[in-house]
Amino acid sequence: MSKADNLSQVTDYVRAARAGKAPFEIVAGGTRRNVGKPLNGLPLLDVSGLSGILKYEPEELIVTAAPATPLSEINAVLAEKNQRLGFDPADWSKLLKSNGVATLAGAASSDASGSGKLRHGGPRDSLLGFQAVNGLGETIRGGSKVVKNVTGFDLPKLMCGAYGTLAVLTEMTFRVYPKPQQAALLFLADVTPQDGFAVLRKIAHSALEPAGLAYLPAGMMSDVGQGAALIKLEGASQPLQEKIALAHGLLGGGLQRLEADPFPAIGSGEKFADLAGDVWRIMVAPSEAPHVARQFHAQHWLGDWAGGVLWLAAPPVEASRIRKLAADAKGQAMLLRASAESRTLHGLYAPQPPALAALNRAVKAAFDPLFLFNPGRLA
Amino acid sequence: MLLPPSDSKIIARRAEIVAALKKIVPDGVVADPSGLATFESDALSAYHQMPLVCVLPSNREQVSAILKYAGEEGVPIVPRGAGTSLSGGALPREDGILIGMGRMKRIIEIDYENGCVVVEPGVTNLNITKAVEANGFYYAPDPSSQVACTIGGNVAENSGGLHCLKYGLTTNNLLGVTLVAPGGEIVTLGGKSGAQGGLDLLGLVTGSEGLLGVVVEVVVKILRKAPVTRTLLASFDSVPAAGACVAAIIADGVVPAAMEFMDRRAAGAIEAYNHPGYPLDAEAILIIDADGVEADVAYAVSRVTDIVAQCGGKTVEATDEKQRARIWSGRKAAFAAMGRLAPDMICMDGTIPRHALPFVLEEMAKLSEQYGLGFCNVFHAGDGNLHPLIIFDTMKPGEFERAEAFGADILRLCVKVGGVLSGEHGIGIEKRDLMTDQFTPEDLAQQGRVKCAFDGQGLFNPGKVFPTLSACIEQGHIHVHGAQLPHPHLPRY
Repeated sequence: MSKADNLSQVTDYVRAARAGKAPFEIVAGGTRRNVGKPLNGLPLLDVSGLSGILKYEPEELIVTAAPATPLSEINAVLAEKNQRLGFDPADWSKLLKSNGVATLAGAASSDASGSGKLRHGGPRDSLLGFQAVNGLGETIRGGSKVVKNVTGFDLPKLMCGAYGTLAVLTEMTFRVYPKPQQAALLFLADVTPQDGFAVLRKIAHSALEPAGLAYLPAGMMSDVGQGAALIKLEGASQPLQEKIALAHGLLGGGLQRLEADPFPAIGSGEKFADLAGDVWRIMVAPSEAPHVARQFHAQHWLGDWAGGVLWLAAPPVEASRIRKLAADAKGQAMLLRASAESRTLHGLYAPQPPALAALNRAVKAAFDPLFLFNPGRLA
Repeated sequence: MLLPPSDSKIIARRAEIVAALKKIVPDGVVADPSGLATFESDALSAYHQMPLVCVLPSNREQVSAILKYAGEEGVPIVPRGAGTSLSGGALPREDGILIGMGRMKRIIEIDYENGCVVVEPGVTNLNITKAVEANGFYYAPDPSSQVACTIGGNVAENSGGLHCLKYGLTTNNLLGVTLVAPGGEIVTLGGKSGAQGGLDLLGLVTGSEGLLGVVVEVVVKILRKAPVTRTLLASFDSVPAAGACVAAIIADGVVPAAMEFMDRRAAGAIEAYNHPGYPLDAEAILIIDADGVEADVAYAVSRVTDIVAQCGGKTVEATDEKQRARIWSGRKAAFAAMGRLAPDMICMDGTIPRHALPFVLEEMAKLSEQYGLGFCNVFHAGDGNLHPLIIFDTMKPGEFERAEAFGADILRLCVKVGGVLSGEHGIGIEKRDLMTDQFTPEDLAQQGRVKCAFDGQGLFNPGKVFPTLSACIEQGHIHVHGAQLPHPHLPRY
């Protein structure tokens, strides 16, 4: 394993890899190494030393950090100023049984949004700019350090969800937001998936700006009868009370208060950590969620983002059926946790239509013409 | 600004190209000079050029056939929505096909269950809101040209507007687009689920200024209208005090729905134009909207009022919906009102870090003296997006060139303080030659290679955005033909 702790060391490593036509795996905190197609023993480039907050400007609502900065560190520093990251980064380490450290770049590169995606969007909506080393060994910058920018191509979007296949990130600038003063957790018990998701969609399309909307069927939460619709609202004290009253009004009563916040365990997949089988995230139009979920009544599942994502634990033999169901619902089934064999066989996502796959490959080649970075990972 | 030289061989083949397009779109080819004159410029009207021919397709199959033909014959393509670009994004080429998307204006589906609308690209921004407002919804991005500009153009330019401080730009309000890529292949990026199962090409295509293909369908998010909106008018004795106040409000953690700045000259011209009730004795005013549930808005209003007072300003609140509308009508008429100050103006567009506002405002005043040209400031202060309006008279020799140089210096100033060349108008031809001020040669070459990944022949909107775009082969790029792998021996990533 090689280590690169700064831009010039990353550059040297990439240039040497280029000269030797030697692909490699990029590792920072290491929590997400077992997501996507296995890289089968490629040399490792350890970039965990590229860590730390470089410039935090609370009054500008932006933070610039080295990519391997632990999420815990950045969350703590922002919390001191009553702020939080512009997106809700999901730490999958419990789900993946990893002892590693979840990092900023890891969360952004794997498009790992928790339940809060509903409110502020994903990493793509938060990453304003970056510096990276491309496959030619050049330092490139994309985006900027201001919140409104349409200058040139929006390359930061590409970095989010690319699983490190385009460039080795060396610096990232994110939006931050004020941290809400308070949160309220509400739930409606004993509702079927059909009714529960309908409730969530109603709240999603209200003016309540919910911070979390999930449906948990019986078995995923205790004492909820057939299932529970969970609602998280945020705000300063008085506005929050008003939102709670409005939610009661919208649903005609029946809402109960919950003390502990279940959303961190929902958004991070922790609920599935000890369940057997492969773990999937199926992204669909929210109205499709009850129908898709019905096909998995025998398995463990839950719905987040008001139905926009279904988490599912299923035996490996179900893979093809899951992919087909997702495709029929015009969604995407992402294979998040599985054996190396399953991941090799089924990939992270279903194969794309040929023209789209060709564009994806061409964009990859535009950054990394020799396919040095995490080759094959995002398939 | 110069466009790359036209190809006289293509111009010589005009009749043949017109005939071929008529086969594809029998009722939608404009080839006569008077018809073409309609399309010779967009809202950057200082630049105009008659297109070789204009084609107005009415469905995606026609768009695909046109792009396939253009690819096979090597003819440049310039996409156009309503022609409201302020950066010359839709400026035609003498040797290029102008593809106008205005006929594709169907609202395909309104899906309240999923909070989205599926539209063709020629639907205007405002018509999306109009289609859903009876049910209490709206489409958030609201560029000033929203009556006329199309959603396809909004995607191409990643348009913003007054309310993107809270609700984001176009890119944050899209779930999917269907794109006809160069060569005619139709690809779907995202959709109602928002998921793409690969790289975020939806994010890349948004704001790509017509360089990567033609959008034929768009899935936009719609939002529930906030139950309460309140509007404040704050006035200040000095421009820097207003600038400092903007920074203080943002730093406090309040996120207004909109925060607009106007200096004395702008406010005066607007007041004379449509009498929105702006104070004439203030050096600068801010219009601030807070929206949300009642208590949220009350909290924001009280915070903003306190901060304005701390910054030495005075606040008045619109007492009813009518007064609210009147205050905003002034802001929305700003450009028209400014037309009274001088025969001509150019509207610049750059973004700066908000803390740099007072400094930049002072520097711009110095530049104004240096160039001997007046200007005024109307801008989206909340997100640091400046729109200085430079006023001049083209009839006076040298003034247009001076105005352009003044504008370029303002944008260089934006970059110097850590900002960018464009916050929402795009680069087009207007700012193309300033790209080297913001980006290194490596940055630009990287963007150039991304362009080549889509458009290996360099046929899409040539001469826009990039100062020099080397041929794709020089970029070391291997063009992907059809669905062929660029490196078949390498694993699929």
